[in-house]
Amino acid sequence: MKTLKFAFALLLCTIISACSSDDDANNPEDLSGQNGTLTLKFDNGVGDQDFIFGTNYNKSNNESYKVDNLKYIISNIRVKDSNGNTFMYPDENNAFIVDEADANNAGEIYITLNNIDAADYTEVTFGIGIDQERFALGAEGQGDFLELAEAKGMLWSWAAGYKFIRIDGTYSNNTVINEPLNIHMGSVGSSLDNYKEVTLSFPNTVRVRQDASPEIHIKSDISKVFDGTTTVNFADGYDQVHVDAVETPIIATNISGMFEVHHIHND
Amino acid sequence: MKKIIFFLLGIVCCVSCSNESQVAVYEPIPMVIETPSNFPDISYNLDNNPITQAGFELGKKLFYDGKLSSNNAIACAFCHEQAFAFTHHGHNLSHGVNGGIGFRNAQPIQNLAYQTSFMWDGSASHLDLQPIIPITSELEMGESLSNVIQKLSAEPYYQEQFTRAFNDGEINTENMLKALSQFMVAMVSSNSKYDKFIRNEDNVTFTALEANGLSTFETKCAGCHASSLFTDQTFRNNGLSINPQLNDLGRYNIGNNPNDLYKFKVPSLRNVEVSFPYMHDGRFTTLEAVLEFYNSGITDNGNVDESLLKDDGTYGIDLSDYEKESLIAFLKTLTDYEFLNDERFAEF
Repeated sequence: MKTLKFAFALLLCTIISACSSDDDANNPEDLSGQNGTLTLKFDNGVGDQDFIFGTNYNKSNNESYKVDNLKYIISNIRVKDSNGNTFMYPDENNAFIVDEADANNAGEIYITLNNIDAADYTEVTFGIGIDQERFALGAEGQGDFLELAEAKGMLWSWAAGYKFIRIDGTYSNNTVINEPLNIHMGSVGSSLDNYKEVTLSFPNTVRVRQDASPEIHIKSDISKVFDGTTTVNFADGYDQVHVDAVETPIIATNISGMFEVHHIHND
Repeated sequence: MKKIIFFLLGIVCCVSCSNESQVAVYEPIPMVIETPSNFPDISYNLDNNPITQAGFELGKKLFYDGKLSSNNAIACAFCHEQAFAFTHHGHNLSHGVNGGIGFRNAQPIQNLAYQTSFMWDGSASHLDLQPIIPITSELEMGESLSNVIQKLSAEPYYQEQFTRAFNDGEINTENMLKALSQFMVAMVSSNSKYDKFIRNEDNVTFTALEANGLSTFETKCAGCHASSLFTDQTFRNNGLSINPQLNDLGRYNIGNNPNDLYKFKVPSLRNVEVSFPYMHDGRFTTLEAVLEFYNSGITDNGNVDESLLKDDGTYGIDLSDYEKESLIAFLKTLTDYEFLNDERFAEF
């Protein structure tokens, strides 16, 4: 009897293990033809504080700033899966304006990407601004984006170009109080290319499925605009950044370092 | 019974007929734009925006429509009149909505498909994007793109014509700008007396004065006003005195590069006879004044083009009275009456 029980147990074990190994090796989850929605949540902050319009934030060299307009363009979003395949969001819809004024009460601005191939994604890449190739196409492929950018004040009408980031507010330091602060950085025609891309790895895989719509929570540290790769001071002319060939690439590089993936929601 | 069937058939026919006449469809009928044999290659990429009859017609309608401006009165054509090679007849600076006055002289619209940059300072690097500048400038048309699209969307004509002109039929900024480009790409001026002379057409000959003018032009002007476009498309400071009221820094505004101070794009000279006044601020009303400026009026503002430097260290182009007279005779051979009177580009 005991032997019989043991034999049954052994048989059961064999069946279970056989089944489970079958699952792993011969029956991987079939994702073909499946797609889902992926959301990028942009959450602006300043260092360890949340970003709030009109709040005074300190920076280096005894300077501080208050901002009442904060927007940037995100484009060419693509995600890479665990097999190394890249899914590029369709070009014609792949440009967005992240505007703090559009944020929910938690200070988050959503970019929702539909029809993403189901897969386990490990990293995201996106550009800040509009790349030269897209800009050189003229009206082609711009759809409504020119209109949106203009309505959002992200178009330089005098140069027919995009502002990649726009920060408007005031700054103070040891010598001045509440002087105008305007950072309008973009590419300048074809002569100055300030488009930058960033790639961010996910702390855990992002599972896009027909019935699973994960969210990627991205923190953007606005303090890095001024205290980033290069520290810049308002007193040295960085209170007004527009088309300058020296200043704008420094700001562009600083901005490309301000993003990090904070966490993932798989649901 | 038979009668009823006929009656029903009649109704079906009527319905289908009326449907056909009401519903516009995409009409991809190509409009061929030939590059004149004496022109360089076209710069505009037609693959992204192939020109069709319907697209050209739409672009022309938009060009002449005041709805592109905030007060619904200032069309593109307001500052770009055909008889004057699509410039603002006689005005040194452009006028816009609410009495606004622009900073610069309206440039001709001709052969733009062969240009690589637009505006006096080259601030537009693509023809499609150029119209955004005047449309949204508070001093010119003072309108927003979204408002323009809203106004156009309300009009049955545009609802139908955008459908005819574009595969997706949408009334949006992309298609509006593409239509304007289709109209402008077709605006080619290449049938002046000069062109016919160069191409040996219609037994056209130059008078001795015109021929001498051409020869002087080739020695003293064609370095910058090069090729059949009569511009090498570079930006240069030609030594105009600075008007303190405007203090126009030129291409410097684009990248704040000190080397670009007071530089403006070398303008084409086609139809120059009718596109007065001259220079970026329209300060010279006659060609005589322009030539006298090059002869004796250049100011060393610190950044004058090297090509204007003379052996004695001063700037200018020495021109005798006869050279000036013959140059002007030659420049008048660049007037293209076919273009100036071409009904395809005319409002009515």
